[in-house]
Amino acid sequence: MQKIISAIVTDIGKVLLGKEHQVKLALACLLSRGHLLIEDLPGMGKTTLAHALARVLGLSYNRVQFTSDMLPADILGVSIFERDSGSFRFHEGPVFSQLLLADEINRSSPKTQSALLEAMEERQVSVDGETRALPEPFFVIATQNPLHQSGTFALPESQLDRFLMRVSLGYPTREAERALFQGVDPRAELRRLKPRIDASALNRLQALVGQVKASESVLDYLERLVSFTRQSPDCAVGLSPRGALALLHAARAWALIDGRGHLLPEDIQAVLPSVAGHRLHSESGDGTQLVERLMHQVDVIAA
Amino acid sequence: MTRPDSLLPRESLLWIFAAQFTVLLPHFTRLPLWIIFGWALAVLWRVEVYRGRREFPGRLVKLLAVSVALLGLVLSYRRWFALEPMVALLAVSFALKNLELLSRRDAFLSLLLAYFVAATLFVFEQTIPYALYGVLAAVVVTAALSAQLGGFSARPRRALGLSLRLLAQSAPLMLLLFMVIPRLGPLWAVPQNSGGASTGISDSMTPGDFTRLSKSDQPALRIAFDGPVPAPEQRYWRGLVYSHFDGRRWSQGFGVDPREGAPVSWRKTENPLPEVGPRYRYRVIQEPTRNQWLFAMARPHSETRGVGETRDDRLVRSVPVYSRFAYDVRSWPRSSLVQRPELGDFERRRNLQLPAEGNPRARAWAQNLAQEHQDGAAISAAVLEFFHRRFTYTLKPPALGQDSVDEFLFGSQQGFCEHFAGSYVFMMRAAGVPARVVAGYQGGEWVDQEEYLLVRQYDAHAWAEIWTPSRGWQRVDPTAAVSPERIRDGLQSAAAEEFMEDSLLPLHRFSLLNRLRLQWDMINYRWYQTVVSFDSDSQQNLLKRLLGEVSPLRLAAFLLIPAAIGLCLLLLWLWWGGRGQQLPRAQRLYLKFCRRMAGVGVPRRSGEAPRDYARRIATEAPRLAAMASAVTAAYERAAYADDPSAERQLGRLLRQWRLGAMLANVAPRRHQAQA
Repeated sequence: MQKIISAIVTDIGKVLLGKEHQVKLALACLLSRGHLLIEDLPGMGKTTLAHALARVLGLSYNRVQFTSDMLPADILGVSIFERDSGSFRFHEGPVFSQLLLADEINRSSPKTQSALLEAMEERQVSVDGETRALPEPFFVIATQNPLHQSGTFALPESQLDRFLMRVSLGYPTREAERALFQGVDPRAELRRLKPRIDASALNRLQALVGQVKASESVLDYLERLVSFTRQSPDCAVGLSPRGALALLHAARAWALIDGRGHLLPEDIQAVLPSVAGHRLHSESGDGTQLVERLMHQVDVIAA
Repeated sequence: MTRPDSLLPRESLLWIFAAQFTVLLPHFTRLPLWIIFGWALAVLWRVEVYRGRREFPGRLVKLLAVSVALLGLVLSYRRWFALEPMVALLAVSFALKNLELLSRRDAFLSLLLAYFVAATLFVFEQTIPYALYGVLAAVVVTAALSAQLGGFSARPRRALGLSLRLLAQSAPLMLLLFMVIPRLGPLWAVPQNSGGASTGISDSMTPGDFTRLSKSDQPALRIAFDGPVPAPEQRYWRGLVYSHFDGRRWSQGFGVDPREGAPVSWRKTENPLPEVGPRYRYRVIQEPTRNQWLFAMARPHSETRGVGETRDDRLVRSVPVYSRFAYDVRSWPRSSLVQRPELGDFERRRNLQLPAEGNPRARAWAQNLAQEHQDGAAISAAVLEFFHRRFTYTLKPPALGQDSVDEFLFGSQQGFCEHFAGSYVFMMRAAGVPARVVAGYQGGEWVDQEEYLLVRQYDAHAWAEIWTPSRGWQRVDPTAAVSPERIRDGLQSAAAEEFMEDSLLPLHRFSLLNRLRLQWDMINYRWYQTVVSFDSDSQQNLLKRLLGEVSPLRLAAFLLIPAAIGLCLLLLWLWWGGRGQQLPRAQRLYLKFCRRMAGVGVPRRSGEAPRDYARRIATEAPRLAAMASAVTAAYERAAYADDPSAERQLGRLLRQWRLGAMLANVAPRRHQAQA
């Protein structure tokens, strides 16, 4: 099992050069059945990551480019009257896929955003009074442009909370960039990728995440982290129980990817910026520095 | 405006009012009524402010309130430098503080003042109920203080709980301080109001005085003997000597009353007494009388500070007895004195004084007796014989007119001790025998296996003393001639029908209740003996008993050693309590490792996970890298994978490392030495 996971990571690494950490985060997010929000500038490889993940994991893949004039039906699907049969037939929207890449989600209106986010939470879609289940597994990778860019609608906190993780890819490393210059073609690599596992194997992997053992000591650390966010005057809001659980799940998935059967504080620290960064915010704004401080001020070992 | 978080929330406000009420309640009977109304008004105003119906009073209103209060104090007391006006002033300022009870600081001020007001209670009363009430007041005030902490601290259970815990913790300290704080005499004495009614023997005797006393069962004296105890018929507690008679009223008279020039010897050298011979040693605890005179048997001598002896064999105190007062007395029975009695001219005149006219029949009869009999003793015997044959002892004597002695002797022939004593002395003086009336108490009731004698107000008694050249002054009790059982068994059996007839409930008829009352009195007595009368002498005695010798060094040791022991115990307790949530062993070992690494110069940063740390150690102190990674791996398995063998391995690794470190430490030194 460990072999498969490392193969997956290596495969994606061929496409997305020098971004092993982010790849592992994305995989951890998927393994703990969460949705991923990638926040970065255009052209950093957000789409490539999503596409590569879909291919390697053997998932059906759809991509939706969000625009400001988009309507919920454009995502969910629509019932159309067919003259031949004389009845309405539901045309599934792009949401009916195992891996949905929602590109630039903050470009669309809140109405459309919330339609997608509802589907993410419920894993089902209600159209024309009929509830349709989404395929299993269902995994959304949304990308968003940094908020200061024009024509964006910020996702409200309650909807940010639906995303297990928020990662940003960042500029490639010097080596990776040099490799790109030297003619490595990620597109071609992407096409060459073969699925490593199928849906049932993915399901088994996801089940394994729950079996990663969390000792008292590490749970204690988690608890101290969470209570620090709730008590520190810097944090406007603390981590919700959902946020705390998300942290635990993601850390477990990270441990599994690392090939361990037990949780280490490092696992929590590894996923903490991604899991807590978009859930916390201070008076002055973003939670990134807060997470930084959180990691430094809460000791790993209770003294 | 003050910041909103320093404003007082509702519960803490209620607590403050509760504390104020608690400490003011016992003063309600003493303070003028308007102060209580003023307090209630101030509280009401503050509540209205809280409800937002009214503003805090402006400067003008406050000024007005203060002036009205001062005026009220002046009108109520008309004098300043006395205790009660001062307490009233304190109460008034305490009450008015409510008008500016704005911030937490004001609340603290008011509550600290409340402690002080609570303490003033003990100026007036030091009995057990008041002491208990004082504790209650301290509990409430402390609870009110802890209610100001914010959060949910104002909840009744929490505030009271904290208060009780705090007070319980301070109890040992209180006991220690009670024992060792120096007892200073008062630096100045604030005169207490002496105008209040008091029961007890007064400085003059008119018919009816003792009847009034006989209706009161208040305790007057408590007497504990050390050694022999006098027989019941010898228990005469002399308090006053009346030498002057104006036809109706007996009083001490000029030259007998210490306030009117009678000499008092305050030092023991002035009035030497034999060190040999039988004597009684006893300690008298006297209830407040607001008078100077004390009570003792004949020929008393006291070494208690501030107690002096008068020429007529009495004890007086330098200041009036405003609160319970204890004094030690030694008394020599008169018969044991070998000194030849003498009666000076002044004293002879003094004790033969009679008004110029009145009571002619008694005078005539006395002169007859004087001619018939040779000496004073015979005359006295004749008068007593006359009493014995004709007279009856009653608590309800008929009223007497102008010539009270004549009317009593030849008319009503019913009376109480004061009638017998007064008319007896009148007759003796008329017959030319120096005589005087003595007032005090007679008898007493044993409490708790004869631990002490309880003398109540109804034991008040008047008797006589006559002077004979051969034996000097000697006691004659005319009442004994009429009603011997009064002397032997006390008033209750002598006048069983009439005794305490007017009381609302004849409680004295129930023996169980009587026993309970005596028990209660005994508890009070012990309380007074151990707590209230703990003065500098008893303190010295106690410290001597504890320390052997009172030196500053020993005293410091006595204070500091318990304090040190207490602190050590506290530390131990804290350490032990900390052990309760002790860290798992692996964690402790790892922290030990971190400390050692910090000693080497690579401290673990806060928030640094073990692996990151190991990696950093590898770069910063490469020679420890292998060690660190082994320890980290073992720790990870022990702490996070719950592997018990890893825990042992971790311990082993650390032990080995210490050994290695020691060797490594030794090696370079040797190296240096060789170099």
